[in-house]
Amino acid sequence: MASDALRNQVATKWQESFNRLNRGSPGISGLMLFSEQAWTVASAFLYPRDLGEPPKDFNNQKIRTAFDVLMQCRMLPMLLESFVEDMRKRQHLITRDVEEYMAQYEATNSPSTIASLILRLADWYATWAPGGELGHTISAAFVTAFQTHIFSVLPPAFAGGFKRLIASTLELSTEAQDSRLWTAFEVLGLADRYEALIASVCYEHIEEHVLATCKGKWDEPMLPTLREWMADNVLPWMLLPYARGAKTTDEAKTMLQGVGSRFDFHVCKTLCDLRTQEVFDIVIDYPDSTPALQDLKECLQRVDQRAQLVQAIRKANKRRLLHPGADTKDILTQYVSIIRCLRIIDPPGVLLFKVADPIRRYLRERPDTIRSIVASLVADSESGDSLVDENEPIQPLSVAQIDDYMDPNWEPEPIDAGPEFRTNKPSDVISTLVSIYDSKDLFIKELQVLLAQRLLAVTDGDYEKERRNIEILKIRFGEAPLQVCEVMLRDMTDSRRIDQHVKTQQPSILHPTIISRHFWPQLQSSKIVMPGQLRSIQESYSKEYTLFKPDKKLRWLSHLGTVNLDIQLQDRTITADVPPLEAAFIELFSEKDSWSVEELISRVGAVERGVAVKALLTWVDLGVLKEEEGHTFRLLETADSSGGLRPSGSRTIIDEQPTVVTVQQQQAEQMRVYWKFIEGMLTNLGSLPLDRIQTMLKFAQGYDRTVDQLAGFMEAARREGLVTVREGLWRLNRG
Amino acid sequence: MEQITSSLAPPPPRPSAKAAVAGPGSDSVGSVTKRLSNELMTLMMSSSPGISAFPKSDANLFEWAGTIEGPAGTYYAGMTFKISISFPPNYPYVAPVIKFDSPCFHPNVDIVSGSICLDILQDKWSAVYSVQTILISLQSLLGEPNNASPLNPDASNIWDSPEAFKVQLARYYRPLNDESA
Repeated sequence: MASDALRNQVATKWQESFNRLNRGSPGISGLMLFSEQAWTVASAFLYPRDLGEPPKDFNNQKIRTAFDVLMQCRMLPMLLESFVEDMRKRQHLITRDVEEYMAQYEATNSPSTIASLILRLADWYATWAPGGELGHTISAAFVTAFQTHIFSVLPPAFAGGFKRLIASTLELSTEAQDSRLWTAFEVLGLADRYEALIASVCYEHIEEHVLATCKGKWDEPMLPTLREWMADNVLPWMLLPYARGAKTTDEAKTMLQGVGSRFDFHVCKTLCDLRTQEVFDIVIDYPDSTPALQDLKECLQRVDQRAQLVQAIRKANKRRLLHPGADTKDILTQYVSIIRCLRIIDPPGVLLFKVADPIRRYLRERPDTIRSIVASLVADSESGDSLVDENEPIQPLSVAQIDDYMDPNWEPEPIDAGPEFRTNKPSDVISTLVSIYDSKDLFIKELQVLLAQRLLAVTDGDYEKERRNIEILKIRFGEAPLQVCEVMLRDMTDSRRIDQHVKTQQPSILHPTIISRHFWPQLQSSKIVMPGQLRSIQESYSKEYTLFKPDKKLRWLSHLGTVNLDIQLQDRTITADVPPLEAAFIELFSEKDSWSVEELISRVGAVERGVAVKALLTWVDLGVLKEEEGHTFRLLETADSSGGLRPSGSRTIIDEQPTVVTVQQQQAEQMRVYWKFIEGMLTNLGSLPLDRIQTMLKFAQGYDRTVDQLAGFMEAARREGLVTVREGLWRLNRG
Repeated sequence: MEQITSSLAPPPPRPSAKAAVAGPGSDSVGSVTKRLSNELMTLMMSSSPGISAFPKSDANLFEWAGTIEGPAGTYYAGMTFKISISFPPNYPYVAPVIKFDSPCFHPNVDIVSGSICLDILQDKWSAVYSVQTILISLQSLLGEPNNASPLNPDASNIWDSPEAFKVQLARYYRPLNDESA
């Protein structure tokens, strides 16, 4: 719509302006010159100079204009390209420096060389940096190009050196830290690139410290100390790499939160690893090591290493505890300690359950486990034998309980509990020990045997201790199972009462212990018949007893007990406390002076030859008898001067053989009875499967074996060729 | 959970032998089973050669199976016979019923039914006898039959001719082999 005049006017104006911009040069070359000038200014400004060169004086305004012009001409990318190209051309300067410093580092191995190198690089960076006011694009391009270049020239050895440099900074106090260095890390991008390295330096520092301070130190809680150390020593250092640029404390805190908890975790993990390694010895040191266990508990809550702990304990137990060289008592003691320790670490008992299983299985295989447990049950607390803490209240054995769903405090089983885990309430140690076996009857039996031994060993008539023990055991096992023990105890006191009564009727030097056969464990049987006056003493006593208790009969166990003898010889009198067999023999020598071993044995009844000879040798030792040719012994009416007379006087020879048949021996005896039954049923019923045999064996009174035990027994019988088995059917092996 | 816990719990106490063996369940039956289990115990612990017996199943103490070996020096030497013993509920006031399960060619044994003619099992029974005495009597009966009251007249007739008897005996005898039970 514009008129021609207007159009002309605009054209003239345009021409005029163009000419001015073009500075009267032909064509558009003037205009080109304009932008070229800007280019020269800009690239001169950006040109990467050597460090030694003095910085050129640039007019900021001019540079700004030049860049504006270039930007308007869209020549900025080209400028950038040429800048990067210039850097590439000049990078040999940096490479030269790096090589120089690294060579020096390799010669000295000093981290300070690395520090100088880094500071030098930071100088390069500062010199070459285009300056922030030129816009983000340029600086970003520069940083990328610069860092790429540095990283490409830094040799592999640098990482090691860098690590040592960081480590050296850890040892410095806060004031001595060179903040320039950390800024340089940041600027050069080293902080980001070597982040893992920096962290690992710190981890190693922590590990070193934990190992140095905590190893073997179990008597005080280390975790709080460690945390304190972290706060005092490591935290200030952490501010440098992790909280750069934090302006306020709060800001620093926020920045440190993530990394801080990572380091705290590492403290816990290191301590946990250490304690896991040491756990066996910690358990041995219990209760002195309780603080260490508390630490471990806290660590485990933070670090999920329960499985490792279980593994470690099981492995240590297997290697150090559950082998034939370890005493059963020691295993039990350690087991009890483990129970106590793991109760501290893990009150629900999941860890304990997992650790205890192999120990319990192993203990079950040991023949003397029950005896050891029972012995510790009744042990004197003074002797230190007791596994039970004196302060622990005596309580009834706890039985496995099913979950009470009405319990408002019910808690589900812990997540790592196995399927066979049984939630058992923290029961006392004795309950746990007794529960190694399925039935407590075994303990009761063993208790009876032990009690019998102890009662028979009491000579001063003081049964108070045993009575106390039984009262304690009653609380644990209940009244009923210990009734037998009651009877045994009563027998002892009754014996004394009866003895006193018999004495009033007819004085006797015999003091028998009268026991009720049905309530006592089997005593070792022997068929010794006392000869001579010893026998007449027994008989007159029996007579008096029958008068006193007409419905009862005494059966003498002549081989038990001791006899106090005064042996009057022609020239001397010998006093001795000896076992009955010895007494019987010497009594026979009052009939004639010389006996052969065979003759003596035939007079006293069934005695093994070895035992008989041993008894006779006792007298030889005492200088009463003399062994002669052909296994004959002669009484020395006058002391044998050549034989080296022992000083006469009282000498006690007590047979150390246990008088009470052990539970094992009893069981072997029972198994012999069961074999008769098995033989009977297989004879009459042909071949039977194992479970039939098991059910049929209930005809045998008191049969209480499991089918597994029976299987073991049958297998033993098969090896002896008594039975054969085909397709699960057992039959007698008929010749 | 209930199941798991219960299966983990220690096995329930084995019912006592007495309770399980008790038969129909009255006091007298209780005393009979007691007597029978005592007899079993005695029999098992005594080692009388060639005789043996045992209850047929664990559920019933009133039915026993027995084994008798022929005594040496008789026609029956080396042979083994199976018998069954069933005790009446009022044992030992009434004799048990005993018969041969293996065919036994003998003057006092019915070859078909296995019934036995032995005075102490009939009119001469006394409560002081026991399984063991019965078995010993039976064992001796093999060597010394009572030919006056034969259940098997054929056997009785040829008892005195060893050759003929042995032929007959061998014809009927079925040795026990491992097919048993």
